[in-house]
Amino acid sequence: MAPPALTTVRARTLFAPLDAGGRADTVTRRLAQAIRLGLLLDGERLPAESQLAGQLGVSTVTLREALAALRTMGLVETRRGRGGGSFVRAPDDADRLELPLRLLSLHELHDIGDHRAAIAGTAARLAAERALTADIAVLREHAERLRGAAALTDRRRADARLHIEIAATAQSPRLTREEMDLWSEIGDLVWLPLEGADVAPAARDHDLLIDAIEAHEPARAREIAERHVAAETGRLLELRLSLHHR
Amino acid sequence: MTAAPASAGEHLLAAVTAAIGRVLESVTEVGEAMTALACAAGAGQRPLRRADLAALRPLVAQVLARHRGFAAGAGVVLAPDALADAARWIDWWWADQGIGQLQVDLDPGSAEFYDYTTTEWYREPARTGQPCIAGPYVDYICTREYTFTVSVPVVDQGRFVGVAGADILASEVERMVLPGLSRLGRARQPAVLVSGRGRVIASSSARIVPGEVLRPGRPGSPGGPGTLGWPDRAGWPDGAGWPGTMTAAGPLPWMLLGGPGEPDEPGGPGRARK
Repeated sequence: MAPPALTTVRARTLFAPLDAGGRADTVTRRLAQAIRLGLLLDGERLPAESQLAGQLGVSTVTLREALAALRTMGLVETRRGRGGGSFVRAPDDADRLELPLRLLSLHELHDIGDHRAAIAGTAARLAAERALTADIAVLREHAERLRGAAALTDRRRADARLHIEIAATAQSPRLTREEMDLWSEIGDLVWLPLEGADVAPAARDHDLLIDAIEAHEPARAREIAERHVAAETGRLLELRLSLHHR
Repeated sequence: MTAAPASAGEHLLAAVTAAIGRVLESVTEVGEAMTALACAAGAGQRPLRRADLAALRPLVAQVLARHRGFAAGAGVVLAPDALADAARWIDWWWADQGIGQLQVDLDPGSAEFYDYTTTEWYREPARTGQPCIAGPYVDYICTREYTFTVSVPVVDQGRFVGVAGADILASEVERMVLPGLSRLGRARQPAVLVSGRGRVIASSSARIVPGEVLRPGRPGSPGGPGTLGWPDRAGWPDGAGWPGTMTAAGPLPWMLLGGPGEPDEPGGPGRARK
């Protein structure tokens, strides 16, 4: 059976040009994430090296380095000869769940947490200063969606949307773009289908946060947002550490 | 002393209202064309499809061409299930060097799904049946900037089919009004253009920033009572306590606050801007 063709939406998401300075590990991470998310399917053939490198905006040398790393991780298999090329090998379930965490060092996880806290904290503070009644209604609506979301994808989306809306309520396009970038990077980590992916703690934090924004209490809003991010980061660090004990 | 600045304020409000009104007129043409499409489909007893919307594109391109440098994007957005071949649909175009189509993820199952039905520019025309000037708000989907969206409802035989609209960058509106505001404002009585909801659009003072919500009388604020800010949430929006409050005519519910107050002392801690 022929491997499925890449749809334009997936091609655009996966193969959008990387920022300047995009390196082999960035390519590795993006492709690994795509495989783990099922955007690239088991047995699917990757575009030819030169084409894929061109789409990602990296050199073929960099791409080969990334493919070698993916091969080591068992996520890509390269076959030679007629009908050859690089093929996706989807990991089994247990590996797939842990993979995004394994890809990050503890220091990187810490750093992501610090970055998130800076953005979410300032966004919360400014939102508390600048929110109108209509904005609060929108925030509550998204908080409610998260509470009602059963599937992890729905939770990830609702959670991301809520945080992006808070940054938008801060009236800052830049903070909003930062939240969007952060969530596209870490959204799957936050809603990793492992222990602790319970919606209740996040929902409680969000309610308190929206209360503080509605009450126009910037300092409290900031504190709650920072605590919320710290709790999530802490949970991820624990999980990451536990991977070594198995 | 008051007559000339007051008329200057009126002139400023009228000019910005007219500029946005012209975009609204163009958008209304798109909306009417879309109503005609829906009506024709209904008369022919066939469902409306995505491909039908191609007929609107010359008009959308015309909106962008006519308001080049002011309208950053334009198009139509469909109510859920208005089309036979898409549960949700956006046919939106942005103008930059050329013209491009906005790509958004409309699959509710996807992690990047964009649910536009919760936005002010969609919801308000759907609810009221009236044109809407939404914003300023952070448009994180199309312009990714601080934006106004003007939108008109498209209704076919009583059924809400969607909206036609256009995006206007807040920075362009600021550019248009700032010289006038700076001429009107005084150090102790800045001139401030606010949205109907009390959101600052532009001001003659560096202490009043766009995006801030203006509420009359901030107790204990450096400027004392009668200046702006939060957290006093009482009495807004009515412009109470603001001399020289003017409300724009027509569908644009913006207000100009401040304006002709006490003239500054000559050489005193002066105008916010020259």
